Amino acid sequence: MGMNWLAKIAGLAEVPVFVAIGEGAPSDTAISLCTNPALRSVETPRAAAILLVVGTIPDALLPQLHRLHDQLPHPRATVLWHSGNRLSEATTVGGTEDIGASLKDVHRSLLAGNFDTEPDILPDVPPNEWRGIGTHGQGGKGMMGGTPYGRPMAMTAADLRDGLELDAYTADFGPFLPMFPPGLALTLTLQGDVIQSVAVVHPPFENHENRGWVLLNLLGLPALAERMLRVSNDSDTTLRRLIHLSGARAAIPKSLGRTYDGSDVRARFDQMTGISEHAMNAHVHQTGLDDLLIGLEWHEAMLVLNSFDTAPLRTICANTSDPEPDEKMEGGMDHGAHAGHMS
Amino acid sequence: MSFAIALIEMLTFMIFGVFLAAVLDAFFYRRIAGRSGVSLLMPLYAAAAHLSRQRLTTEAPDRLNWFLSISGFLALGAIGLAVVPFGPQTAVIGMETSVVLWGACESLVVVLVFLHGWSPNSPLALIGAYRYVAIGLPIMLLSMFVLIAVALPAESLDLRAIVISQEGLWNVIRQPLGLPLFLLLGLSLTLRGPLDYGDSADLAGGTSIEDSGANRAGWQVARLAMLVGFSAVAASAFLGGYLGPVLPGIVWLALKTLTVMAVIIAMGHLLARMPVARMLGLIWKVLLPIAFLDLLLAGLVALP
Repeated sequence: MGMNWLAKIAGLAEVPVFVAIGEGAPSDTAISLCTNPALRSVETPRAAAILLVVGTIPDALLPQLHRLHDQLPHPRATVLWHSGNRLSEATTVGGTEDIGASLKDVHRSLLAGNFDTEPDILPDVPPNEWRGIGTHGQGGKGMMGGTPYGRPMAMTAADLRDGLELDAYTADFGPFLPMFPPGLALTLTLQGDVIQSVAVVHPPFENHENRGWVLLNLLGLPALAERMLRVSNDSDTTLRRLIHLSGARAAIPKSLGRTYDGSDVRARFDQMTGISEHAMNAHVHQTGLDDLLIGLEWHEAMLVLNSFDTAPLRTICANTSDPEPDEKMEGGMDHGAHAGHMS
Repeated sequence: MSFAIALIEMLTFMIFGVFLAAVLDAFFYRRIAGRSGVSLLMPLYAAAAHLSRQRLTTEAPDRLNWFLSISGFLALGAIGLAVVPFGPQTAVIGMETSVVLWGACESLVVVLVFLHGWSPNSPLALIGAYRYVAIGLPIMLLSMFVLIAVALPAESLDLRAIVISQEGLWNVIRQPLGLPLFLLLGLSLTLRGPLDYGDSADLAGGTSIEDSGANRAGWQVARLAMLVGFSAVAASAFLGGYLGPVLPGIVWLALKTLTVMAVIIAMGHLLARMPVARMLGLIWKVLLPIAFLDLLLAGLVALP
């Protein structure tokens, strides 16, 4: 089938790719992808044409991968790279092949109609049975408290900071959110964007990636984040100067994410971005995610999560105690309805 | 007839402005990131790629408001440009209270960005929406002080009169605090860099997290249109608008608008964004008093 003019022009664009990182992904994955001029890594599957699975997604997280897959708009395709997974209709690219050229080929084939768009993996039905009472799931306590399709409606609870009664909302986040370390999945209760409780669903995968570039991205500096990935930090004085001038360090609140050894996000940011050459090993043996995240706003919490290397973060996850039963939402909900990506 | 010409000029200005804004954005990003070159046609390719994909929806979205938020945002950018005079007495919306109309547009941006985050029925989008409102409200106050200050020397709320009042001295010199403060508003209105609390990376795109296909293309174009509209207003309020020697007025306006656009885009890529509570403290405790000082100084100078 011939390409129409829109598809021809679209084929000249950078290929929008949503990356799902699994176990065993190369630690230079972000560098490989960002330095490839044919690709653009996007932050939501809604903006992607291709789902790129790098590394192997363990069986326990496959349901989340399937949900993620179904959120890509048509025409869409899945490409497996350095991966031991087997997904129906997915294209596998060898570790030594040029990933940019391969994805470009898949994208053009999709647009030309030579490559069939992938159908949904999951049935387009609610993941849980209807347990609401009213038309919109209301019922139970007053006009709230129902559990439409397994997701309880938000009930008011006292805000941690000032006791103001606000809606508390509980859901699973991760393991493929771009602002989460790969593999990390958490059950969070939020009031507004303030974290009220946290439980670990899945710890992050082992990886030796420097997350300094993610911190820069979270601070609204994606160009500097890419520059950090592109160049050797030690040799790029321009990068260090630009980071300094950006006010990134001052933007991070003092004492944010302080561990028992006294290090905070600022100190870890300095080390990760090469501003400080002072070597530091985070001592986190008594620190849990609940100690670090509860009471923080979402942006601050993301900065904290990404300020640790994977090994200490896995220790922190292991130290995290589950919320008290009465802190959990009632009704045995399946938070997985939102896992993988909020939508 | 003159209205039709002004309308054609405005639409042409907007189309070229949006295109140049996209190219400038890519240029600054690549330059700072250490990438080489930028293709002038990349924005068109990217737009075609968006349009070639399906427009997905979510579970129980507010479809009407989703559409209104995108189309309304685009319309507000256009209204911003429409109040800008392209020459003496030449503005698509020439009214004696054009500054008030622009102020209303600024406020409506807060409403529309909120609707954009509200409509998909998605948690991270909703967080972006609420966060934007928290920051947007004090930023609007700041803008009101600054705009009243530029209206004082002209003794008018008409942007045409404000441009004419700068024939001897541009407001950027007369009121040096005004333009830097107004540029912060521009960063907020266009959801950029240090004041992008709606669509930020920590929320994986925030209010636009669920946009796909034509919706995503529309939202990006609307943001760029707002950048063009805002930059033209800033160029008129502080840099003398169409005033300038030799070249036609519209060329001067285009050059000044382009300069403001470039500054906002560069600031967006080079300045860090702080967590919301910290930014709120900065706005209320530091920036708003400075804006009030700007107004006070303008008032003292304007006293007979």
